[in-house]
Amino acid sequence: MAKTKMEEYLEEEEDTQKGKFLTFILGDEFYGIGIEFVTEIIGILPITEVPELPTYIRGIINLRGKIIPVMDIRLRFKKPFLEYNERTCIIVIDILDNSVGLIVDSVAEVTNISEENIVAPPSLNTGFSNTYIKGIGKVNNDVKLLLDCEKLLSKDELETLDSINV
Amino acid sequence: MSKNESISEKEVEPVPQFMNEPMLEMYIFETTQMIEQLEQAILISEKGGFYEETSINEIFRFMHTIKGSSAMMLYNDIATLAHSMEDVFYFLREAKPTLVDYSQLSDIVFEGVDFIKVELIKIKNGDSADGDASGLIEKIKEFMTFLKSENPSGQSIESKKPETQQKYYIAPEKKITYDAKNFYKAVVYFEEGCEMESIRAYTIIHNLTELAEELFSIPEVGSGSDSDSELIKENGFKIYVRTNLSYEKIESFLQDTIFLKELKLEEISDEETFLSFKQTEGTNFEENEIKLPQVLENRISKEPINKEQIWKEVGNNAPQSVISVSVDKLDKLMDLVGEMVISEAMVTQNPDLVELELENFTKAARLLHKITSEIQDTVMSIRMVPLSTTFMKMQRIMRDMCKKLEREVELQLIGEETEVDKNIIEHIADPLMHLIRNAVDHGIEENEERIEKGKDRVGTVTLEAKNSGSDVLVIVRDDGKGLDKERILTKAIKAGLVDETTVLTDREIYNLILLPGFSTNENITEFSGRGVGMDVVSKNLQLVGGTILVDSTFGEGTCMTMKIPLTLAIIDGMNVKVGGSCYTIPITAIKQSFRPKAGECFTDPDGNEMIMVRGNCYPIIRLHKYFEVQTVVKEFHEGVLIMVEQDARMICLFADELIGQQQVVVKALPNFIKQTKNIQSLSGCTLLGDGSISLIIDIGGLTQYRTSK
Amino acid sequence: MKKVLIVDDAAFMRLTIKTVLEHNNFEIVGEAENGRVAFEKYKMLQPDVVTMDITMPEMSGIDALKIIRQYDSNAKIVMISAMGQEMLVREAIVNGAASFIVKPFKEEQIIYTIKKVVGE
Repeated sequence: MAKTKMEEYLEEEEDTQKGKFLTFILGDEFYGIGIEFVTEIIGILPITEVPELPTYIRGIINLRGKIIPVMDIRLRFKKPFLEYNERTCIIVIDILDNSVGLIVDSVAEVTNISEENIVAPPSLNTGFSNTYIKGIGKVNNDVKLLLDCEKLLSKDELETLDSINV
Repeated sequence: MSKNESISEKEVEPVPQFMNEPMLEMYIFETTQMIEQLEQAILISEKGGFYEETSINEIFRFMHTIKGSSAMMLYNDIATLAHSMEDVFYFLREAKPTLVDYSQLSDIVFEGVDFIKVELIKIKNGDSADGDASGLIEKIKEFMTFLKSENPSGQSIESKKPETQQKYYIAPEKKITYDAKNFYKAVVYFEEGCEMESIRAYTIIHNLTELAEELFSIPEVGSGSDSDSELIKENGFKIYVRTNLSYEKIESFLQDTIFLKELKLEEISDEETFLSFKQTEGTNFEENEIKLPQVLENRISKEPINKEQIWKEVGNNAPQSVISVSVDKLDKLMDLVGEMVISEAMVTQNPDLVELELENFTKAARLLHKITSEIQDTVMSIRMVPLSTTFMKMQRIMRDMCKKLEREVELQLIGEETEVDKNIIEHIADPLMHLIRNAVDHGIEENEERIEKGKDRVGTVTLEAKNSGSDVLVIVRDDGKGLDKERILTKAIKAGLVDETTVLTDREIYNLILLPGFSTNENITEFSGRGVGMDVVSKNLQLVGGTILVDSTFGEGTCMTMKIPLTLAIIDGMNVKVGGSCYTIPITAIKQSFRPKAGECFTDPDGNEMIMVRGNCYPIIRLHKYFEVQTVVKEFHEGVLIMVEQDARMICLFADELIGQQQVVVKALPNFIKQTKNIQSLSGCTLLGDGSISLIIDIGGLTQYRTSK
Repeated sequence: MKKVLIVDDAAFMRLTIKTVLEHNNFEIVGEAENGRVAFEKYKMLQPDVVTMDITMPEMSGIDALKIIRQYDSNAKIVMISAMGQEMLVREAIVNGAASFIVKPFKEEQIIYTIKKVVGE
């Protein structure tokens, strides 16, 4: 299962991966991650819990012999937890020599979003700057929240985006 | 050569152009090895109070090689330093002087060794080897001068007549009449920097003797003297030859000279003119006392070759059967072996096969397992290195300390052949150094004090290594004054490291010195006592999964035991089930496991659960609670208690059931997790045969939690 | 490509000479760390030229030179000497060494010498 999905999404390997985003769904919202960080996409796997970690780090998985930590994005964004099902996906990203799997409701597609169509994230009502959104991408009439992967993996508590006024 | 010159030389000289990474590494590796062996040779000689012939030869050769290699790498300070020490040992070898201050000699050579060591560190780190050895070289030269003046027999080398100089290139007796009618004068100029011009000139003469009837030259060569070389460099090498060969033939012959820069060849018209050159320009060689520099004189091997001896040696084949392998390759091999062990388990313990009765498959699987185990053992043994080199380093440290403190202490080594993984050995040297220093500085008393106490005058520090299960124990024991419990406790309380009301066993008190910020020493000596010693040792050991234990008897001595795992990667583990999760406990920590009877466990007033076993009370840690795992097994008599020991602390772990013993490949927890939280209770994880992950419990980390709660 | 046998007890020197010579189109067919092994390998590999360190344990460069020349009177051996070893070098010449180089040497010097000796 894992391979086909990956092949599907990452079929066209161009030299520059800039401008290409993998989009996934959490509830009603669409998020995007720069494709340059994504190494693979797999279905949900059995997770071994590891104690003493923040709740959003669910534990570790065995990915073909490699031990990868997995993070529940819902919990990371302080959204309510949803039971995993067959649509749940793990997006494995590789950043700063760390491989981490992001658990998301489901994966959408790989889409091109050019620079002109990306705007800076809106200032939050709360005024916090610990936001994990790098920018807001417009594709047709849809909005994709583009994630800052480094922030995602940092230890910082991420403030929730209560509302986005576009 | 001054520092500045050598730096600019580095920019200009083409030699470093051919230098590359492997060469630099080889230089560092080989020179480091030689320095280590050198140190050993000197230590042994110094201890014996005498330098044996074999040691002198050995040390001479080491210096000679270091000189050569360093010169090639343009590390001129090291080269010149090595050269000056080489000269000293050459003198010792040839002149065999009897009045030698061996103690001073050892000191000087050690200084030289230390200089080179420091330079090597710089080179290893990619810094420039900018140390200035001139002061040290001066010292060595002065020592040499003094040595020679004390041992006047050295003069005899100088006054010895040079070996019968060949006065005529071609023995005049051979020829009574000369037939050849061609006379030539050749002036040869050699390329700059080709070195040993006089010998190069000699080579021409040597090759010409077959072609000439009469032959002489200015200067007369064959003595290899520097003055000859200088003369040749300045005026060229003048050759006068009587031969049958034509001009062309002689010219072509001479043109072939290696490092020839310029050749001036002219015919001499007649015999008379030819012979006149012999008398006028040339020096009358019969009278000429060619002074050989005394150093060179003896380098001619005087013994004729014993052909039989050589053929015998040649027949005896035993070549060196050791190769050096890059540690990276070994690491990769280890990783792959680890993967192989996991894969093998995944095949042979595959859930698909659980129900099936496969006799042939089982047999084959067993054979496979046997082979993979053997591969595993062999690979691990490749990486194993004996502790002897590390122990030898301690000899040097002991020696230096004794000299500085003016105290006589003996170092006893036991079990230095014990082997440890190469990765680990690097982390042992520093802690060991600290411990030895502590033992000598703080442990062993002054010699007189010892006599007063009725002890041996010379204190003993014993350094012992031995295997214990899958660990290696490295023990530093001294027969000094031991640790003062009261002082330690007071100091610890004062430093806020422990509460006054806490009751501690003797051992626990001694181990307080491992805590950071602890030091009972009022006088901070150069070696130790700044309060940074013991806790640094402890930390260093933890990096390789090791621990340290302190024990002592006041007035009699102290014993520090370092426990280090043999290898980081593969351990014997007991898999246990807790709810839906699996955990692995290192077998070496397990004392016993049992199912308690109902009612055997009780709770103390503080709420801690415990059990009595053979009169002793042990605390219980519920794994399901600790790791927050859901399980139905909550009653003690329904599950299993595993008694584990770590650092003299014993506790019982409560799990659902034992799954089985297995050799597991320790995989580190992902970096991301380690960065997020340093989980003390886990030392890593492993993959089981069915693909699931089992977390490996770090008993030390777990027990610490228990005590602190 | 001309075949070379490198003889020196210092691994570093062997590596240096090998690096330089290979860079200049010579084939290093073997290495030896003392005279005894050098002789064995000479017989086995039949190189075109040998670089021979003078000072070595077990069997010195001079002894190895003698034995190899005895075995093969056409053997081309270039001695590698240190400064101050004039008398040893002279003895080597007397015993049939083709030429010599003095440490520390430059790349051009060894290449030039080897090439001249093999006749390039």
